Amino acid sequence: MITITNITKSFGNTEVLKGIDLKVEKGDVVVILGPSGSGKTTLLRCINYLEKPNDGEISIGEFTMNCKHPNKQGILTLRKKTAMVFQNYNLFKHKTVIENVMEGLMIVQKKSKEVARQISLQMLEKVGLANKLDAFPSQLSGGQQQRVGIARALALNPEVILFDEPTSALDPELVGEVLEVIRNIAMEGITMIVVTHEMGFAREVSNHVVFMDAGVVVEEGKPHEIFGSPREERTKQFLKRITSNHIA
Amino acid sequence: MTAFLKLLQALPTTLLITIISISIGFVIATIVALLRIYKVSVLTQIASAYVTFIRGTPMLMHLFLIYFGLPPIIDAIAKKFQLGFTSTSIPLIVFVCFSFSLTAGGYMSEVIRAGILAINRGQIEAAYSLGMTTAQALRRIVFPQALAVSLPNLSNSFIGIMHGTTLAFTLSITEILGQANIVASTNWKFFEAFIAAALLFWGITIFVEKLTAVLEKRINKYNRGGVA
Repeated sequence: MITITNITKSFGNTEVLKGIDLKVEKGDVVVILGPSGSGKTTLLRCINYLEKPNDGEISIGEFTMNCKHPNKQGILTLRKKTAMVFQNYNLFKHKTVIENVMEGLMIVQKKSKEVARQISLQMLEKVGLANKLDAFPSQLSGGQQQRVGIARALALNPEVILFDEPTSALDPELVGEVLEVIRNIAMEGITMIVVTHEMGFAREVSNHVVFMDAGVVVEEGKPHEIFGSPREERTKQFLKRITSNHIA
Repeated sequence: MTAFLKLLQALPTTLLITIISISIGFVIATIVALLRIYKVSVLTQIASAYVTFIRGTPMLMHLFLIYFGLPPIIDAIAKKFQLGFTSTSIPLIVFVCFSFSLTAGGYMSEVIRAGILAINRGQIEAAYSLGMTTAQALRRIVFPQALAVSLPNLSNSFIGIMHGTTLAFTLSITEILGQANIVASTNWKFFEAFIAAALLFWGITIFVEKLTAVLEKRINKYNRGGVA
């Protein structure tokens, strides 16, 4: 139900995405792996139009966006169908935990304050933060902030949630609680595209793995295929380096 | 002491000019700052030219340029469209406020621009990711935070413009300093009159400083950190 066709993106003369194709079915948990600079975060940001692709097509459900001729309305529609969880959380600093979650519901989806509050409460319970409703982001740990970020994305009931290295900025101790939350919502059947370096998590949660390098998809397949018997030399190298790092 | 009481009569004039100029200046400044940040074609060049001209020329000169330059233009327009009035029917204080608004707008636009640029890019990206339009993101997310960042500098601008209103005396507007001159010329106690005026200005400034401190504390509540 999400189809990405031949997406290209350059920053100046550097070609970061060299024609990416990706298909995601409803309920899929797709993990994108790859070394830094491979373009995986850029791809994710293109899906949410935080980066403007040079060319290609993005379809979500019935809606199709031609990236060569984007229009404002189309960009807004695309963004309403997607939600993003950021590496640095990017919670609204001047709003409390519950206000952060309510913001999109009230301003974008035009829900009443009461309804927005009700939904936000449910979402915050889901991520285990029902006791922090009136705290400001600066009063929370990184793990708690990221869980609010997930609740904020979840509340909008988007067609897909994009996770951009959701645990990379966290203390090792706090990674677990965030992965736990993501794992739980993955089991609820919410469609997700996750960029991560957590290999164990990727293997356990995903049902489709994409390996990217230098702006192209090198290899994709089921997790046991990619992790167990990768075909491409580049994938083998990457996985070997990552796993040996983990043992060390 | 009597001098001080007489000066109080001029206090409303000073405050009126200051508050009107700062308010209109704030609107101009916000528009100019946004034009420059978003590099709106043509308008951004005009905005930049405006800022560099305002900051590059003295406040007293803005006053004179408006006072001597604007009336002929108004008269010409009034005559052309047969509006049936002349610039002489416009109170002097309107020219003063107009001129100082332009001055305040030029200086404050840099304060506001800095405030907006100080907000982490991630904040607006998060707003966009929820599906907000740029206007919504600015109004709901960026402006409140930028205002908090800019507050100390905005209070600085307020105080600066307030002290600048003394220049209006050159157009025979009796604000506080003008009133001090008038009082002194009747009893020849210049020193006392100016000391009284100085104390009055200082008093208002201290009030503004305190007010800013209270606002700052309230508006920056979210930055305190610590455990909830």
